[in-house]
Amino acid sequence: METIKKIFIVLGSLDRRIIFIIVGLSVLIPLLKPEWVDLPIRPTPESQIVFDEINKLNEGDKVLLSFEYGPSTKPEIHPMAIAILKHLYAKNIQVYGFALWPDGNFMSTEAFSEVSDDYDKKYGVDYVNLGYKPGGEAVIKGIASDIRTLYPADLQGTSLNDIPMMKDVINIEDFDFVFSLSAGYPGSKEWVQYACDPKNIPLSTGCTSIQVTDIMPYVENDQIRGILAGMPGAAEYESLVEAELQKMEISGKPGEASGMMAAQSIAHVVIVLFIIFGNISYFITRKKNRKG
Amino acid sequence: MLLKRQIPLMIVIGVGLLTLFGNFINNEAVRGFVDNDATQWFDIIASFAIFLGALNMLKLQLIKIIKKQKNWQYSILAVAGFAFAIFAGFFYRGANFITIADIQDGQLAIVSGIIAEELNETNPYDIKTKIMGSQDEYEIDKLFMTEGNAKLFMEKLTPFVGVINLKSKPWGAHVQTKGSLFYWMFINMITPLGATMFALLAFFVASASYRAFRIRNFEATLLLVAGIILMLGRVPIGNLIPWWVVSIMLMFGIGAIAAPFIKERKILLGIVSGGIIIFIIFGTLMGWNQTPPALLSIPIIQDWIFAFPAMAGSRALMIGIALGIVATSFRIIIGLDKSVLGG
Amino acid sequence: MITAEIMGAWLVVLLTLCIFSFLYKDNPFYKAAEHLYVGVSAGYVAVISFWQQVQPNMFGRLWPSRIDVDDGSIFTSVWYAIYEIFNFISTGFGVLDRSIFPEGGIKGFDEIRFIYLIPFILGIFMLLRLVPKLGWLARWAIAYIVGMAAGLRFYGFLNSDILIQIKASAIDFTSDWGTIVNALILFIGTLTGLIYFFYSTEHKGVVGRLSRIGIYFLMIKFGASFGFAVMGRISLLIGRINDLKNYSSPEYNYATPVISVLIIICLAIWSFMDGDKKKESAA
Repeated sequence: METIKKIFIVLGSLDRRIIFIIVGLSVLIPLLKPEWVDLPIRPTPESQIVFDEINKLNEGDKVLLSFEYGPSTKPEIHPMAIAILKHLYAKNIQVYGFALWPDGNFMSTEAFSEVSDDYDKKYGVDYVNLGYKPGGEAVIKGIASDIRTLYPADLQGTSLNDIPMMKDVINIEDFDFVFSLSAGYPGSKEWVQYACDPKNIPLSTGCTSIQVTDIMPYVENDQIRGILAGMPGAAEYESLVEAELQKMEISGKPGEASGMMAAQSIAHVVIVLFIIFGNISYFITRKKNRKG
Repeated sequence: MLLKRQIPLMIVIGVGLLTLFGNFINNEAVRGFVDNDATQWFDIIASFAIFLGALNMLKLQLIKIIKKQKNWQYSILAVAGFAFAIFAGFFYRGANFITIADIQDGQLAIVSGIIAEELNETNPYDIKTKIMGSQDEYEIDKLFMTEGNAKLFMEKLTPFVGVINLKSKPWGAHVQTKGSLFYWMFINMITPLGATMFALLAFFVASASYRAFRIRNFEATLLLVAGIILMLGRVPIGNLIPWWVVSIMLMFGIGAIAAPFIKERKILLGIVSGGIIIFIIFGTLMGWNQTPPALLSIPIIQDWIFAFPAMAGSRALMIGIALGIVATSFRIIIGLDKSVLGG
Repeated sequence: MITAEIMGAWLVVLLTLCIFSFLYKDNPFYKAAEHLYVGVSAGYVAVISFWQQVQPNMFGRLWPSRIDVDDGSIFTSVWYAIYEIFNFISTGFGVLDRSIFPEGGIKGFDEIRFIYLIPFILGIFMLLRLVPKLGWLARWAIAYIVGMAAGLRFYGFLNSDILIQIKASAIDFTSDWGTIVNALILFIGTLTGLIYFFYSTEHKGVVGRLSRIGIYFLMIKFGASFGFAVMGRISLLIGRINDLKNYSSPEYNYATPVISVLIIICLAIWSFMDGDKKKESAA
């Protein structure tokens, strides 16, 4: 018993670099050997709502897909963007790309180029990318009233009047659904406040894990319909979309986020164990100091 | 005084009132101005604020270099990085592409093969179809960062095509086009630097959890338990945690709540241990090994905590923060709060 | 063969490992990467803002394509002469090719909007912040931004974050008992959490007990936030390590292992020399 107590006291003053190494290994090993840890993915109710909302859309509907993330949050949100695009393309829904972050331009370009060819989607007919404008909520207000005052042309410089699928699109009321891929400000909160609530357009979001508790009150009362929470949310959505694509007999590449869930799970367990051991060590040390 | 304080104050009040009442006024001209032009002006001035920030950063780094302050050598890198970004944005476009037309008779297959090889595509047939489908000229789907590389490729095609042109994507579009120097800079410099800065935090969160996250009181315990349940319940491994582990955690939780009321530690230990044993025996007899109850599943508990108690806290915070923002915005609009104009 | 892609991959690995080297301790590799990031990202945001907003939406409205607006008047000619002067300056007095101000105006809009001179002037005022004697002019531009943001936020937050949230807290007593209990928990948690933030009354007696309950709900929320924060950071770490793993393949000439070894050796030498320096200065 005494030996165990001594071990915990020593562990309590562990050099933080050893903690860094353990965390690094807990992520690296499952990535190198994913077959060692095979875990089934259970969709949460919030992810299921997002899936159901998009599934309810019909062929030819218009969806506004807004890219509010950059390379620093790409591992969490980009897999969601790919899965959403696959779902929308499989249902032949028209996709309109916007960005409220400058980095969103690159993320949107990458996402569209990764998925569009696999589903034989043509630019200007099935999808269009209007890109980024600075201004945050002012841009959202502009989109809510008249897109052409903000966007005379798309990301490539083509006038909106020359793009077939922009013909009947004046403002946000012409869209059937809005999906915000959000990593911070401006993001889904601003879409709720300045466009979707005032104009009553259904909105869903995929966001970084950090933002989830701040966005949840909107989800609870349907201002936002469901939420994809971080990388686990992306993995859940990927599993739902894969099942749906299989039903539609459409084959495709597997999602990125699902392959990383093993690493995510192991890392979480390691951190929980750190917390537990840290507290045990704290109590033993405190008791020893009181006796001493 | 008039120019430095009163006029800015009048601008704040005027614009604030116009923006606020623009939501309620049904006059087309006013609505049009508030929803379109006013927001455009905001965007434009915000862009100039970004330029100001960038120039300010440059000024500070240059002062550091000139005055040879501590670590001034690193500031050279900051200035060089800035200069590189400006060069890539305004002086060197890249994003060169090639268009072809008037392919000589019988050479279409050869041209498609050359293009397919350059694009790393296994099937030249798709390219042949696209070339045949194009009306005036066919734009090869590859962007070259340098004209030199583009010209090398053009030399391969020149014997087989009548018209071959080297063009560049327009200025402006080049900043987000693959094949431009700016895009290369974004992918190979900004992306790894930014992403890694954020990823570093994972290590520090783990270190902080181990060294600083202590159960000192009931509130800290609640925070910790909610955090742990969420961390385990949100990932697939949460489904693998068996019901009896959850039962043990539940008994420890009951023990923690009862601890202030039971002074004798041995009695407390007895209650907790006895409770665990009874729970496990009861569960085994009820067949929970095969069909565990939902209430003893970490993901289900996590769903409930997330949807109700945590949601209540989030909502309270949201309403509280919103009340603060509305009050501050109101004070700014009516001109009570002058601190935003610099004291 | 060293292609731009392989060079790019090596640069990515180098910069990533330089930042990660901070885990050992603050060192020259980290400082260099950090300063590079500051410079490049400032330039990046400025370039994007210019090409995505200022050039098309401000200059594009002041000088749209001349074919669409030219009415043959002298005023239009003079106006576009100013455009050519701007172009002359932006091309380094004719040395470089046209870029910012293309031939014949900027395509996009079909009428000249002189009212956009106002944000242009306010934008210049904003930049004058760098000039000590004229820095006060920036207040006019900031006043516009602040006034507009206040007006936007007032309505947005009042509607979405207060009124709709309060409405959603209502309890539907006609539903099943499980839903009612959960809705009561939500309602009590929201109310007691708000009571905790009410500082105009001392937290004693009934108010004290209610605010105590409020703290418990807030602590559960913060625990959930902590869990999500950990989840988010680990996700980003997974993304980086995944990229490093991909760049360690023969396709990229084993970038990750080679650069890792080099950095470790350099750090070891630096650490040794730094230790000696510290011992000398202590002595």
